[in-house]
Amino acid sequence: MNTAVRPRTGPTDRGSGTRLNSDNSTRSRFHLSAAARSLGLRALAVGGFLLLWWAVARAEIWPPVILPPPHAVWEQAVATTTEGFSGSTLPEHLWASMRRILTGSGYGTAGGILLGLLIGLVPALRVMLGPLISFVRALPPLAYLSLLVIWFGINEEPKIWLLIIASLPPVAVATADAVRNVGPDYLHAARSLGARSWRLPLWIVLPHALPEVITGVRIAVGVAYTSVVAAETVNGLPGIGGMIREAQRFNQTDIVILGLFVIGLSGLLIDGILQRIDRILAPWRGRT
Amino acid sequence: MSWSPSPTTAALELREVGHDYPSRDGTVPALDGITLSLDQGQHLAVVGPSGSGKSTLLRLIAGFQQPTRGTLTVHGTPVTGPGPDRGVVFQQPTLFPWLSVLANVEFGLRMAGVPRKERRERALHQLALVGLADTARMRPYELSGGMQQRVAIARALAPDPGIVLMDEPFGALDALTRERMQEELRLLWRHTRKTLVFITHDVEEAVFLGTRIIVLSARPGRIILEESSDLPYEENPRAAPGFARLRERITEAVRHAAHQAH
Repeated sequence: MNTAVRPRTGPTDRGSGTRLNSDNSTRSRFHLSAAARSLGLRALAVGGFLLLWWAVARAEIWPPVILPPPHAVWEQAVATTTEGFSGSTLPEHLWASMRRILTGSGYGTAGGILLGLLIGLVPALRVMLGPLISFVRALPPLAYLSLLVIWFGINEEPKIWLLIIASLPPVAVATADAVRNVGPDYLHAARSLGARSWRLPLWIVLPHALPEVITGVRIAVGVAYTSVVAAETVNGLPGIGGMIREAQRFNQTDIVILGLFVIGLSGLLIDGILQRIDRILAPWRGRT
Repeated sequence: MSWSPSPTTAALELREVGHDYPSRDGTVPALDGITLSLDQGQHLAVVGPSGSGKSTLLRLIAGFQQPTRGTLTVHGTPVTGPGPDRGVVFQQPTLFPWLSVLANVEFGLRMAGVPRKERRERALHQLALVGLADTARMRPYELSGGMQQRVAIARALAPDPGIVLMDEPFGALDALTRERMQEELRLLWRHTRKTLVFITHDVEEAVFLGTRIIVLSARPGRIILEESSDLPYEENPRAAPGFARLRERITEAVRHAAHQAH
Protein backbone atom coordinates (compact mmCIF):
# COMPACT_ATOMS: atom_id res chain seq x y z
CA MET A 1 0.00 0.00 0.00
CA ASN A 2 2.84 2.31 0.81
CA THR A 3 4.13 2.84 -2.69
CA ALA A 4 0.72 3.74 -4.01
CA VAL A 5 -0.19 5.92 -1.06
CA ARG A 6 3.02 7.86 -0.90
CA PRO A 7 2.29 10.95 -2.94
CA ARG A 8 4.83 12.09 -5.44
CA THR A 9 6.60 15.24 -4.49
CA GLY A 10 6.51 17.36 -7.57
CA PRO A 11 9.35 19.48 -8.86
CA THR A 12 7.40 22.66 -8.08
CA ASP A 13 7.54 22.05 -4.38
CA ARG A 14 11.21 21.23 -4.35
CA GLY A 15 11.73 24.36 -6.31
CA SER A 16 9.76 26.48 -3.91
CA GLY A 17 11.71 25.01 -1.01
CA THR A 18 15.05 26.08 -2.40
CA ARG A 19 13.66 29.36 -3.61
CA LEU A 20 12.56 30.09 -0.07
CA ASN A 21 16.08 29.55 1.21
CA SER A 22 17.71 31.70 -1.41
CA ASP A 23 15.13 34.37 -0.69
CA ASN A 24 16.22 34.37 2.91
CA SER A 25 19.89 34.72 2.10
CA THR A 26 19.37 37.59 -0.32
CA ARG A 27 17.14 39.24 2.23
CA SER A 28 19.76 39.00 4.97
CA ARG A 29 22.46 40.33 2.65
CA PHE A 30 20.21 43.22 1.77
CA HIS A 31 19.56 43.79 5.46
CA LEU A 32 23.25 43.90 6.21
CA SER A 33 23.97 46.66 3.74
CA ALA A 34 20.83 48.55 4.79
CA ALA A 35 21.86 48.17 8.42
CA ALA A 36 25.34 49.46 7.67
CA ARG A 37 23.82 52.40 5.86
CA SER A 38 21.46 53.37 8.66
CA LEU A 39 24.29 52.92 11.18
CA GLY A 40 26.39 55.35 9.18
CA LEU A 41 23.54 57.85 8.99
CA ARG A 42 23.00 57.58 12.72
CA ALA A 43 26.70 58.13 13.47
CA LEU A 44 26.53 61.18 11.22
CA ALA A 45 23.54 62.56 13.13
CA VAL A 46 25.17 61.97 16.53
CA GLY A 47 28.42 63.56 15.32
CA GLY A 48 26.54 66.57 13.94
CA PHE A 49 24.66 66.98 17.20
CA LEU A 50 27.87 66.87 19.27
CA LEU A 51 29.53 69.35 16.93
CA LEU A 52 26.58 71.76 17.16
CA TRP A 53 26.50 71.42 20.94
CA TRP A 54 30.23 72.07 21.16
CA ALA A 55 29.98 75.12 18.87
CA VAL A 56 27.10 76.69 20.83
CA ALA A 57 28.86 76.06 24.17
CA ARG A 58 32.10 77.43 22.72
CA ALA A 59 30.37 80.64 21.59
CA GLU A 60 29.49 81.16 25.29
CA ILE A 61 26.07 82.59 24.56
CA TRP A 62 25.10 81.09 27.91
CA PRO A 63 27.46 80.50 30.85
CA PRO A 64 28.77 76.90 31.31
CA VAL A 65 26.51 76.39 34.32
CA ILE A 66 23.56 76.62 31.91
CA LEU A 67 25.14 74.80 28.98
CA PRO A 68 28.37 72.94 29.72
CA PRO A 69 30.44 71.81 26.70
CA PRO A 70 30.40 68.10 25.69
CA HIS A 71 33.90 67.44 27.00
CA ALA A 72 32.90 68.68 30.49
CA VAL A 73 30.17 66.04 30.54
CA TRP A 74 32.67 63.44 29.37
CA GLU A 75 35.14 64.45 32.09
CA GLN A 76 32.34 64.06 34.65
CA ALA A 77 31.59 60.62 33.23
CA VAL A 78 35.20 59.62 33.89
CA ALA A 79 35.31 61.34 37.30
CA THR A 80 32.05 59.86 38.58
CA THR A 81 33.05 56.42 37.34
CA THR A 82 36.46 56.48 39.04
CA GLU A 83 35.93 58.75 42.08
CA GLY A 84 32.15 58.61 42.47
CA PHE A 85 29.49 61.16 43.24
CA SER A 86 27.40 61.43 46.40
CA GLY A 87 28.93 58.31 47.85
CA SER A 88 28.62 55.97 44.83
CA THR A 89 30.30 55.56 41.47
CA LEU A 90 28.34 56.03 38.22
CA PRO A 91 28.01 52.26 37.59
CA GLU A 92 26.68 51.84 41.13
CA HIS A 93 24.09 54.59 40.53
CA LEU A 94 23.11 52.96 37.24
CA TRP A 95 22.92 49.49 38.74
CA ALA A 96 20.70 50.74 41.59
CA SER A 97 18.28 52.24 39.05
CA MET A 98 18.41 49.19 36.79
CA ARG A 99 17.73 46.85 39.67
CA ARG A 100 14.62 48.86 40.54
CA ILE A 101 13.48 48.91 36.91
CA LEU A 102 14.01 45.18 36.45
CA THR A 103 12.39 44.24 39.76
CA GLY A 104 9.44 46.59 39.34
CA SER A 105 8.69 45.84 35.71
CA GLY A 106 9.40 42.14 36.34
CA TYR A 107 6.67 41.90 38.96
CA GLY A 108 4.51 44.25 36.88
CA THR A 109 4.90 42.03 33.81
CA ALA A 110 4.14 38.80 35.67
CA GLY A 111 1.08 40.35 37.29
CA GLY A 112 0.03 41.97 34.02
CA ILE A 113 0.15 38.70 32.06
CA LEU A 114 -1.86 36.88 34.73
CA LEU A 115 -4.41 39.69 35.02
CA GLY A 116 -4.61 40.11 31.23
CA LEU A 117 -5.20 36.37 30.78
CA LEU A 118 -8.01 36.42 33.35
CA ILE A 119 -9.59 39.55 31.90
CA GLY A 120 -9.33 38.23 28.35
CA LEU A 121 -10.84 34.85 29.23
CA VAL A 122 -13.56 35.88 31.70
CA PRO A 123 -15.94 38.52 30.30
CA ALA A 124 -17.30 39.40 33.76
CA LEU A 125 -13.81 40.24 34.99
CA ARG A 126 -13.27 42.44 31.95
CA VAL A 127 -16.38 44.44 32.78
CA MET A 128 -15.31 44.76 36.42
CA LEU A 129 -11.59 45.42 36.12
CA GLY A 130 -11.28 47.04 32.68
CA PRO A 131 -12.17 50.59 33.79
CA LEU A 132 -9.95 50.32 36.89
CA ILE A 133 -6.94 49.38 34.78
CA SER A 134 -7.62 52.20 32.31
CA PHE A 135 -7.88 54.59 35.28
CA VAL A 136 -4.57 53.51 36.82
CA ARG A 137 -2.95 53.58 33.40
CA ALA A 138 -3.96 57.22 32.91
CA LEU A 139 -2.39 58.35 36.23
CA PRO A 140 1.04 60.01 36.04
CA PRO A 141 3.36 58.03 38.38
CA LEU A 142 4.42 61.20 40.22
CA ALA A 143 0.78 61.66 41.25
CA TYR A 144 0.67 58.47 43.31
CA LEU A 145 4.26 58.60 44.52
CA SER A 146 3.21 60.69 47.54
CA LEU A 147 0.61 58.14 48.51
CA LEU A 148 3.13 55.32 48.19
CA VAL A 149 5.61 57.24 50.38
CA ILE A 150 2.92 57.62 53.06
CA TRP A 151 2.11 53.90 52.83
CA PHE A 152 5.55 52.38 52.41
CA GLY A 153 8.06 54.93 53.72
CA ILE A 154 11.02 56.29 51.77
CA ASN A 155 13.19 53.24 51.12
CA GLU A 156 12.95 50.67 48.31
CA GLU A 157 9.31 49.64 48.76
CA PRO A 158 7.59 52.76 47.40
CA LYS A 159 9.94 52.87 44.39
CA ILE A 160 9.33 49.22 43.49
CA TRP A 161 5.59 49.64 44.00
CA LEU A 162 5.56 52.73 41.81
CA LEU A 163 7.22 50.80 38.99
CA ILE A 164 4.90 47.83 39.44
CA ILE A 165 1.82 50.06 39.28
CA ALA A 166 3.21 51.90 36.26
CA SER A 167 4.20 48.80 34.29
CA LEU A 168 1.36 46.39 35.08
CA PRO A 169 -1.52 48.06 33.16
CA PRO A 170 0.12 48.15 29.70
CA VAL A 171 1.02 44.45 29.93
CA ALA A 172 -2.45 43.55 31.21
CA VAL A 173 -4.17 45.51 28.43
CA ALA A 174 -1.95 44.08 25.67
CA THR A 175 -2.38 40.52 26.97
CA ALA A 176 -6.15 40.85 27.38
CA ASP A 177 -6.55 42.23 23.85
CA ALA A 178 -4.40 39.50 22.34
CA VAL A 179 -6.23 36.79 24.28
CA ARG A 180 -9.59 38.06 23.09
CA ASN A 181 -8.38 38.18 19.50
CA VAL A 182 -7.33 34.53 19.25
CA GLY A 183 -8.80 33.38 15.95
CA PRO A 184 -11.72 31.00 16.54
CA ASP A 185 -10.27 28.68 13.89
CA TYR A 186 -7.17 28.08 16.03
CA LEU A 187 -9.42 27.09 18.94
CA HIS A 188 -11.60 24.96 16.67
CA ALA A 189 -8.57 23.24 15.19
CA ALA A 190 -7.22 22.47 18.66
CA ARG A 191 -10.59 21.18 19.89
CA SER A 192 -10.95 18.98 16.79
CA LEU A 193 -7.51 17.55 17.54
CA GLY A 194 -8.79 16.47 20.94
CA ALA A 195 -7.68 19.40 23.13
CA ARG A 196 -10.01 19.85 26.07
CA SER A 197 -11.11 23.37 26.99
CA TRP A 198 -8.87 23.62 30.03
CA ARG A 199 -5.79 22.97 27.92
CA LEU A 200 -6.51 25.78 25.47
CA PRO A 201 -5.09 28.71 27.54
CA LEU A 202 -1.64 27.17 27.84
CA TRP A 203 -1.46 25.49 24.43
CA ILE A 204 -3.21 27.98 22.16
CA VAL A 205 -4.23 31.25 23.80
CA LEU A 206 -0.97 32.25 25.50
CA PRO A 207 1.38 31.23 22.67
CA HIS A 208 -0.89 33.03 20.22
CA ALA A 209 -0.79 36.15 22.42
CA LEU A 210 2.99 36.01 22.94
CA PRO A 211 3.99 38.66 20.35
CA GLU A 212 1.51 41.17 21.81
CA VAL A 213 2.55 40.27 25.34
CA ILE A 214 6.17 41.02 24.46
CA THR A 215 5.11 44.35 22.96
CA GLY A 216 3.33 45.04 26.26
CA VAL A 217 6.50 44.18 28.16
CA ARG A 218 8.50 46.60 26.02
CA ILE A 219 5.99 49.35 26.77
CA ALA A 220 6.07 48.41 30.47
CA VAL A 221 9.85 48.62 30.67
CA GLY A 222 9.66 51.96 28.85
CA VAL A 223 7.13 53.25 31.36
CA ALA A 224 9.29 51.94 34.22
CA TYR A 225 12.21 53.83 32.74
CA THR A 226 10.35 57.10 32.59
CA SER A 227 9.06 56.56 36.12
CA VAL A 228 12.27 55.51 37.86
CA VAL A 229 13.75 59.00 37.88
CA ALA A 230 10.52 60.27 39.41
CA ALA A 231 10.60 57.48 42.00
CA GLU A 232 14.18 58.34 42.88
CA THR A 233 13.45 61.99 43.65
CA VAL A 234 12.65 60.80 47.19
CA ASN A 235 15.69 59.28 48.91
CA GLY A 236 16.99 58.02 45.59
CA LEU A 237 20.69 57.57 46.37
CA PRO A 238 22.26 55.53 44.99
CA GLY A 239 20.38 55.78 41.69
CA ILE A 240 20.57 57.84 38.52
CA GLY A 241 17.47 59.84 39.52
CA GLY A 242 18.98 60.59 42.93
CA MET A 243 22.26 61.52 41.29
CA ILE A 244 20.54 63.96 38.92
CA ARG A 245 18.58 65.52 41.78
CA GLU A 246 21.68 65.87 43.94
CA ALA A 247 23.62 67.48 41.08
CA GLN A 248 20.75 69.89 40.45
CA ARG A 249 20.95 71.10 44.05
CA PHE A 250 24.56 72.16 43.50
CA ASN A 251 24.06 73.42 39.94
CA GLN A 252 26.35 70.69 38.56
CA THR A 253 24.76 70.86 35.14
CA ASP A 254 27.33 68.54 33.54
CA ILE A 255 26.35 65.74 35.93
CA VAL A 256 22.63 66.35 35.28
CA ILE A 257 23.26 65.98 31.55
CA LEU A 258 25.46 62.95 32.17
CA GLY A 259 22.59 61.36 34.09
CA LEU A 260 20.22 62.00 31.19
CA PHE A 261 22.60 60.34 28.75
CA VAL A 262 23.17 57.34 30.98
CA ILE A 263 19.46 56.72 31.56
CA GLY A 264 18.65 57.31 27.87
CA LEU A 265 21.39 55.09 26.47
CA SER A 266 20.78 52.25 28.91
CA GLY A 267 17.07 52.48 28.00
CA LEU A 268 17.91 52.04 24.32
CA LEU A 269 20.13 49.09 25.20
CA ILE A 270 17.39 47.37 27.22
CA ASP A 271 14.84 47.91 24.47
CA GLY A 272 17.31 46.48 21.95
CA ILE A 273 17.68 43.38 24.12
CA LEU A 274 13.89 43.04 24.39
CA GLN A 275 13.53 43.31 20.61
CA ARG A 276 16.11 40.56 20.32
CA ILE A 277 14.17 38.38 22.75
CA ASP A 278 11.01 39.10 20.75
CA ARG A 279 12.63 37.79 17.57
CA ILE A 280 13.79 34.64 19.34
CA LEU A 281 10.52 33.89 21.16
CA ALA A 282 8.03 34.99 18.48
CA PRO A 283 9.76 34.60 15.11
CA TRP A 284 6.39 34.29 13.38
CA ARG A 285 5.39 37.89 14.16
CA GLY A 286 3.97 39.45 11.00
CA ARG A 287 4.50 36.26 8.99
CA THR A 288 1.24 34.38 9.35
CA MET B 1 -9.24 8.55 19.50
CA SER B 2 -9.40 5.83 16.87
CA TRP B 3 -12.57 4.64 15.28
CA SER B 4 -14.15 1.26 15.10
CA PRO B 5 -16.35 0.86 12.05
CA SER B 6 -19.71 -0.45 13.02
CA PRO B 7 -21.73 -2.37 10.46
CA THR B 8 -25.12 -1.41 11.84
CA THR B 9 -24.96 2.37 12.25
CA ALA B 10 -24.00 4.88 9.60
CA ALA B 11 -20.71 6.72 10.06
CA LEU B 12 -22.58 9.98 9.77
CA GLU B 13 -26.29 10.56 9.85
CA LEU B 14 -28.22 13.81 9.50
CA ARG B 15 -31.99 13.86 9.92
CA GLU B 16 -33.94 16.97 8.91
CA VAL B 17 -31.04 19.15 10.00
CA GLY B 18 -31.53 22.91 9.74
CA HIS B 19 -29.62 25.90 10.96
CA ASP B 20 -30.58 29.56 11.42
CA TYR B 21 -28.29 32.49 12.02
CA PRO B 22 -29.51 35.32 14.22
CA SER B 23 -30.00 38.61 12.41
CA ARG B 24 -31.28 42.08 13.23
CA ASP B 25 -34.89 41.18 12.52
CA GLY B 26 -35.24 37.59 13.67
CA THR B 27 -33.27 34.82 12.02
CA VAL B 28 -31.81 33.96 8.63
CA PRO B 29 -32.14 30.30 7.68
CA ALA B 30 -28.84 28.95 6.33
CA LEU B 31 -29.69 25.26 6.03
CA ASP B 32 -32.97 23.40 5.93
CA GLY B 33 -34.16 19.82 5.84
CA ILE B 34 -30.82 18.15 5.30
CA THR B 35 -31.25 14.39 5.53
CA LEU B 36 -28.24 12.32 4.72
CA SER B 37 -26.63 9.05 5.67
CA LEU B 38 -23.00 8.28 5.01
CA ASP B 39 -21.38 4.86 5.38
CA GLN B 40 -17.87 4.41 6.66
CA GLY B 41 -15.43 4.90 3.79
CA GLN B 42 -17.70 7.01 1.62
CA HIS B 43 -16.49 10.35 0.32
CA LEU B 44 -19.14 13.00 0.28
CA ALA B 45 -18.55 16.06 -1.86
CA VAL B 46 -20.82 19.01 -1.09
CA VAL B 47 -21.26 21.50 -3.94
CA GLY B 48 -23.33 24.64 -4.10
CA PRO B 49 -23.30 28.34 -4.91
CA SER B 50 -21.84 30.72 -2.34
CA GLY B 51 -24.30 31.34 0.47
CA SER B 52 -25.76 27.87 0.17
CA GLY B 53 -24.65 26.93 3.67
CA LYS B 54 -21.91 24.49 2.60
CA SER B 55 -19.55 25.69 5.29
CA THR B 56 -22.35 25.77 7.85
CA LEU B 57 -23.04 22.11 7.12
CA LEU B 58 -19.40 21.25 7.73
CA ARG B 59 -19.27 23.31 10.92
CA LEU B 60 -22.34 21.51 12.24
CA ILE B 61 -20.76 18.12 11.59
CA ALA B 62 -17.50 19.33 13.14
CA GLY B 63 -19.45 20.45 16.20
CA PHE B 64 -18.36 24.10 16.04
CA GLN B 65 -22.03 25.04 15.89
CA GLN B 66 -25.17 23.27 17.02
CA PRO B 67 -28.02 22.64 14.57
CA THR B 68 -31.17 24.65 15.19
CA ARG B 69 -33.35 21.74 14.05
CA GLY B 70 -32.97 18.04 13.46
CA THR B 71 -30.49 15.44 14.70
CA LEU B 72 -26.90 14.81 13.78
CA THR B 73 -25.16 11.61 14.85
CA VAL B 74 -21.70 10.15 14.32
CA HIS B 75 -21.68 6.35 14.62
CA GLY B 76 -25.00 6.69 16.40
CA THR B 77 -23.82 9.24 18.97
CA PRO B 78 -25.27 12.78 18.83
CA VAL B 79 -22.68 15.48 18.09
CA THR B 80 -22.39 17.97 20.95
CA GLY B 81 -19.05 19.59 20.15
CA PRO B 82 -15.75 19.16 18.32
CA GLY B 83 -13.88 15.92 18.95
CA PRO B 84 -10.88 13.91 17.77
CA ASP B 85 -13.17 11.43 15.99
CA ARG B 86 -13.70 14.12 13.33
CA GLY B 87 -10.53 15.64 11.90
CA VAL B 88 -10.94 19.04 10.26
CA VAL B 89 -8.95 20.67 7.45
CA PHE B 90 -9.84 24.33 7.11
CA GLN B 91 -9.86 26.63 4.09
CA GLN B 92 -6.69 28.19 5.50
CA PRO B 93 -4.02 25.81 6.85
CA THR B 94 -4.52 27.21 10.40
CA LEU B 95 -1.24 25.68 11.55
CA PHE B 96 0.06 26.84 14.91
CA PRO B 97 2.99 29.15 14.07
CA TRP B 98 4.48 28.80 17.55
CA LEU B 99 5.06 25.09 16.96
CA SER B 100 7.35 23.37 14.48
CA VAL B 101 5.83 21.44 11.57
CA LEU B 102 6.40 18.17 13.43
CA ALA B 103 4.90 19.52 16.68
CA ASN B 104 1.86 20.64 14.70
CA VAL B 105 1.35 17.12 13.35
CA GLU B 106 2.01 15.69 16.82
CA PHE B 107 -0.54 17.99 18.46
CA GLY B 108 -3.52 15.62 18.34
CA LEU B 109 -1.44 12.68 19.55
CA ARG B 110 -0.06 14.78 22.38
CA MET B 111 -3.57 15.75 23.44
CA ALA B 112 -4.48 12.05 23.40
CA GLY B 113 -1.56 11.29 25.71
CA VAL B 114 0.41 9.18 23.22
CA PRO B 115 3.95 8.63 24.57
CA ARG B 116 6.67 10.82 23.10
CA LYS B 117 8.48 8.19 21.03
CA GLU B 118 5.39 6.70 19.43
CA ARG B 119 4.00 10.18 18.87
CA ARG B 120 7.11 11.22 16.99
CA GLU B 121 7.11 8.10 14.83
CA ARG B 122 3.45 8.40 13.88
CA ALA B 123 3.75 12.11 13.11
CA LEU B 124 6.81 11.56 10.94
CA HIS B 125 5.03 8.74 9.11
CA GLN B 126 2.06 11.02 8.48
CA LEU B 127 4.36 13.79 7.22
CA ALA B 128 6.04 11.28 4.90
CA LEU B 129 2.62 10.35 3.47
CA VAL B 130 2.15 13.93 2.31
CA GLY B 131 5.76 14.04 1.09
CA LEU B 132 7.04 16.52 3.64
CA ALA B 133 9.16 14.46 6.05
CA ASP B 134 12.13 16.74 5.50
CA THR B 135 10.26 19.82 6.72
CA ALA B 136 9.66 18.39 10.22
CA ARG B 137 11.92 20.86 11.99
CA MET B 138 10.80 23.93 10.05
CA ARG B 139 8.20 26.44 11.15
CA PRO B 140 4.88 26.47 9.22
CA TYR B 141 5.39 29.98 7.84
CA GLU B 142 8.62 28.87 6.17
CA LEU B 143 6.59 26.63 3.83
CA SER B 144 4.62 27.55 0.72
CA GLY B 145 0.82 27.65 0.87
CA GLY B 146 0.45 24.23 -0.75
CA MET B 147 2.97 22.65 1.62
CA GLN B 148 1.22 24.23 4.61
CA GLN B 149 -2.10 22.75 3.52
CA ARG B 150 -0.46 19.32 3.21
CA VAL B 151 0.88 19.67 6.75
CA ALA B 152 -2.65 20.60 7.82
CA ILE B 153 -3.92 17.38 6.22
CA ALA B 154 -1.18 15.37 7.96
CA ARG B 155 -2.09 17.04 11.26
CA ALA B 156 -5.76 16.16 10.84
CA LEU B 157 -4.96 12.54 9.92
CA ALA B 158 -2.34 11.87 12.61
CA PRO B 159 -4.78 11.08 15.46
CA ASP B 160 -6.47 8.62 13.06
CA PRO B 161 -9.99 10.08 13.02
CA GLY B 162 -12.72 7.98 11.43
CA ILE B 163 -14.18 11.00 9.67
CA VAL B 164 -12.26 13.79 7.97
CA LEU B 165 -13.97 17.10 7.18
CA MET B 166 -12.46 19.44 4.61
CA ASP B 167 -13.71 22.94 3.89
CA GLU B 168 -12.47 23.97 0.44
CA PRO B 169 -8.94 23.03 1.45
CA PHE B 170 -7.48 23.79 -1.97
CA GLY B 171 -9.43 26.98 -2.62
CA ALA B 172 -6.49 29.25 -1.87
CA LEU B 173 -3.98 27.32 -4.02
CA ASP B 174 -2.93 27.96 -7.60
CA ALA B 175 -4.44 25.72 -10.27
CA LEU B 176 -1.38 23.52 -10.78
CA THR B 177 -0.79 22.85 -7.09
CA ARG B 178 -4.50 22.26 -6.58
CA GLU B 179 -4.63 19.62 -9.29
CA ARG B 180 -1.65 17.77 -7.85
CA MET B 181 -3.12 17.92 -4.34
CA GLN B 182 -6.43 16.53 -5.63
CA GLU B 183 -4.61 13.59 -7.17
CA GLU B 184 -2.57 13.00 -4.00
CA LEU B 185 -5.69 13.15 -1.89
CA ARG B 186 -7.55 10.76 -4.19
CA LEU B 187 -4.77 8.17 -3.95
CA LEU B 188 -4.42 8.69 -0.19
CA TRP B 189 -8.15 8.23 0.29
CA ARG B 190 -8.48 5.21 -1.92
CA HIS B 191 -6.34 3.27 0.53
CA THR B 192 -7.93 4.31 3.79
CA ARG B 193 -11.38 3.42 4.98
CA LYS B 194 -11.90 6.90 6.29
CA THR B 195 -15.13 8.76 5.75
CA LEU B 196 -14.62 12.08 4.04
CA VAL B 197 -16.85 15.13 3.83
CA PHE B 198 -15.51 17.61 1.35
CA ILE B 199 -16.84 21.11 0.70
CA THR B 200 -16.04 22.66 -2.67
CA HIS B 201 -17.38 25.12 -5.19
CA ASP B 202 -15.40 23.35 -7.91
CA VAL B 203 -17.66 20.82 -9.67
CA GLU B 204 -14.73 19.07 -11.33
CA GLU B 205 -13.08 18.57 -7.93
CA ALA B 206 -16.33 17.15 -6.53
CA VAL B 207 -16.62 14.62 -9.36
CA PHE B 208 -12.94 13.77 -9.12
CA LEU B 209 -13.00 13.05 -5.38
CA GLY B 210 -16.58 12.25 -4.36
CA THR B 211 -18.18 8.82 -4.22
CA ARG B 212 -21.31 10.65 -3.08
CA ILE B 213 -22.06 14.14 -4.34
CA ILE B 214 -24.78 16.49 -3.15
CA VAL B 215 -25.70 19.88 -4.55
CA LEU B 216 -27.16 22.48 -2.19
CA SER B 217 -29.59 25.19 -3.25
CA ALA B 218 -29.16 28.86 -2.50
CA ARG B 219 -30.13 30.07 0.99
CA PRO B 220 -31.55 28.27 2.77
CA GLY B 221 -29.42 25.34 1.61
CA ARG B 222 -31.45 22.25 0.72
CA ILE B 223 -30.28 19.14 -1.10
CA ILE B 224 -31.43 19.54 -4.72
CA LEU B 225 -29.36 16.79 -6.29
CA GLU B 226 -27.78 13.63 -4.97
CA GLU B 227 -25.44 11.44 -6.99
CA SER B 228 -23.37 8.32 -6.34
CA SER B 229 -20.21 7.61 -8.23
CA ASP B 230 -17.27 5.22 -8.30
CA LEU B 231 -15.20 7.43 -10.58
CA PRO B 232 -12.60 8.24 -7.89
CA TYR B 233 -11.62 4.56 -7.97
CA GLU B 234 -10.90 4.64 -11.72
CA GLU B 235 -7.31 4.71 -12.89
CA ASN B 236 -7.86 8.06 -14.55
CA PRO B 237 -11.23 9.49 -13.48
CA ARG B 238 -11.11 12.47 -15.82
CA ALA B 239 -10.84 10.20 -18.85
CA ALA B 240 -13.56 7.81 -17.67
CA PRO B 241 -16.72 7.82 -19.81
CA GLY B 242 -19.06 8.88 -17.01
CA PHE B 243 -16.97 11.84 -15.86
CA ALA B 244 -18.15 14.49 -18.33
CA ARG B 245 -21.78 13.42 -18.03
CA LEU B 246 -21.79 13.57 -14.23
CA ARG B 247 -19.96 16.87 -14.26
CA GLU B 248 -22.54 18.24 -16.67
CA ARG B 249 -25.47 17.14 -14.51
CA ILE B 250 -23.95 18.68 -11.41
CA THR B 251 -22.95 21.88 -13.18
CA GLU B 252 -26.52 22.21 -14.41
CA ALA B 253 -27.87 21.81 -10.86
CA VAL B 254 -25.38 24.32 -9.42
CA ARG B 255 -26.21 26.78 -12.18
CA HIS B 256 -29.88 26.36 -11.46
CA ALA B 257 -29.29 26.94 -7.71
CA ALA B 258 -27.16 30.01 -8.35
CA HIS B 259 -29.77 31.36 -10.74
CA GLN B 260 -32.43 30.94 -8.09
CA ALA B 261 -30.44 33.12 -5.74
CA HIS B 262 -30.67 36.22 -7.97
